[in-house]
Amino acid sequence: MLPENITAILARNETWSGEAASEPYEAGWAREAIVFVRALKDPVGPAPLARIEISPDGMHWVPEGTEMPLPSQKDGMAVARLTHFGSWLRVAASFEDDASCTVLVTLHLKA
Amino acid sequence: MSRSDTSSDFGETVRRAMNLSNPGLSRFDPLPRIITLDEFSRGHCGWSQLVGNYENTLDTMLPGYAQHTSAMLSTLPHWDAGSHGGMRGSYALKIATRPHPGAQNVAIKRLTFRKRGPIRFEAYFTFKPEATELKLGETDVRSVGFLFDLQGGDRDDGAERVMPHLRFLNAEGGQHLQKWQFKNETTKFQPVGDGEKTLSHYHLAPEGWQDLPGGSQRLCYNEIATKVNWSYLRFDFDLAEMKALSFQCNDRVFDMSGFDSIRMPAMKNLWCMLNFCLFAETDVARRAFLYVDSVCISGDF
Repeated sequence: MLPENITAILARNETWSGEAASEPYEAGWAREAIVFVRALKDPVGPAPLARIEISPDGMHWVPEGTEMPLPSQKDGMAVARLTHFGSWLRVAASFEDDASCTVLVTLHLKA
Repeated sequence: MSRSDTSSDFGETVRRAMNLSNPGLSRFDPLPRIITLDEFSRGHCGWSQLVGNYENTLDTMLPGYAQHTSAMLSTLPHWDAGSHGGMRGSYALKIATRPHPGAQNVAIKRLTFRKRGPIRFEAYFTFKPEATELKLGETDVRSVGFLFDLQGGDRDDGAERVMPHLRFLNAEGGQHLQKWQFKNETTKFQPVGDGEKTLSHYHLAPEGWQDLPGGSQRLCYNEIATKVNWSYLRFDFDLAEMKALSFQCNDRVFDMSGFDSIRMPAMKNLWCMLNFCLFAETDVARRAFLYVDSVCISGDF
């Protein structure tokens, strides 16, 4: 049987501001992941770095170490390649006051 | 007894013996034709996110659908006890809501049918809230349930779109209600975008649920938030009459004579649709998780 390989949508048309994060995604079966973040609208204010976070339980989160600059214009893309992330993944970002970005966050996993 | 009856009985005996000796099928009681057997240790098996309709911009998607997220393959990993695992493998399908009261999430499997007759939907499932507190949380999950989304064939007389819904209303407003409900009405269809080409309705809106007569049931809900037990459900539906035939959960078989489905005129592009949905809903500001170990969908053809 071919190894599992799926695309999950972590956030679709969500406007992120302040302390923002995707919903937790359980992916302990996957050996590798790529995360894409696409701006669906022109962002407002400065685009922060987004960070990949991992967790022992889906409730307590720590930075995995990978960061990516969020897009500064509509249809701009950010990407992160990941391995060795354990059981849980999410994408988080800290926006300055009055800054925001409407995002499509997709997670591409392979066993 | 005629020769054909004897042959039919023999065939049924062989079929049943083969199913009972197959570890993947033995815990189910399928009709003769297995349409799909989904064991989530083999992957998502076609259970994907129920995405709402939209046109030109995602902003036109109804909020009920916009909240949906992708289902996961889960080992039911608990912070205090580690992975619970599935019944026969490591993984189950996990449908998780967002953490605010009334949040819902839905996974869907989209098929079409080739024979209008009885079908059977069987599943092993369990549910719990996210274990963010050291409490049982037995009233945190509002409901879990399933629905079919069906439509007759394009040459059928009087074809309708028919949507049988059943949910286990676990709790609402902190009250532990524990009963099965159905609904036979949906919200009004509304166009999305700037034309009449794409319509949408949120059939899982909170309004319109009715108690299934005799539908109270106390399920096994283990003693802390991180202990779960699998439960069995079975729903039989006749695609010819578009009518529910029977419903069972664990040891209880319910009278379906008072059950009806959401019914509406056939839509122009959904002929022979055979969709199955599983959903979860939280009652509090905590994620609700519906876990499904396996699903068997079978038909009498």
